[in-house]
Amino acid sequence: MYKLKADNAILKENAIKLEEAVSSQQAVIQQQTKDFNTILTQNKKMTALNETLNKELSALDDKFNKTNASGKKRDIGDLAIARTKTIEKVINKASDNAQRCVEISMGAELTEKEKNATKKSEINSECPSLANPSYIPY
Amino acid sequence: MPILLIFLTSCSSIKQLEVFKTEVKRVPLNLEKPAAPNMEKLNWIIITSDNAEEVFAKMKEDGKDPVLFGLSDDDYEILAKNFAQIRAYIIKQGATLDSYKEYYESSEKSE
Repeated sequence: MYKLKADNAILKENAIKLEEAVSSQQAVIQQQTKDFNTILTQNKKMTALNETLNKELSALDDKFNKTNASGKKRDIGDLAIARTKTIEKVINKASDNAQRCVEISMGAELTEKEKNATKKSEINSECPSLANPSYIPY
Repeated sequence: MPILLIFLTSCSSIKQLEVFKTEVKRVPLNLEKPAAPNMEKLNWIIITSDNAEEVFAKMKEDGKDPVLFGLSDDDYEILAKNFAQIRAYIIKQGATLDSYKEYYESSEKSE
């Protein structure tokens, strides 16, 4: 009789512990689901970022190798000989923009002008996705 | 058989469960991001066979050493593309770090 009572007490204790174990397992499963969703979201973000950056790299390549209507490739050397001062200005502007892109990529705060830029003439054409969040390419 | 019976009657088949909880949460690393450097402005000079004398004369006039470190147009393109690739790499690395931080150190995790 005494033994049965003791067993019963242990069984009750065990039941409580099992309930606790089940609920902590459920918490683990919930956390795992949350983690899985976070991983998916982060992967999607990285894929989108990669696509954007690849587009910007291609855009730079296009700038140097744009083909005109007659099928001739743009040659920056020819342009620089023909219009030295203009191309010098263009190069310096692009260089300033590229440096600014690096500053931003390293954590520099965006200026109000950069944040609010929506027109092509206002944006940093080297990295609009990074420097001009309000700009929608058109 | 008798020996087995003795064992069955003398020992309880019910064992007390022992549950160990040893979870110790890691303290988040929480490193500050390095401060973004201010990059100094640099100036490109385009020099051709036509404007070379004028360019050097201007440099002398401005008190600069009349010397230029040159790149051909093709090499300039390569430099620009390399620079863009470095920039893209920095951006990706920053985003990767942010993702890890969010995953391992977000407030939801520590709750």
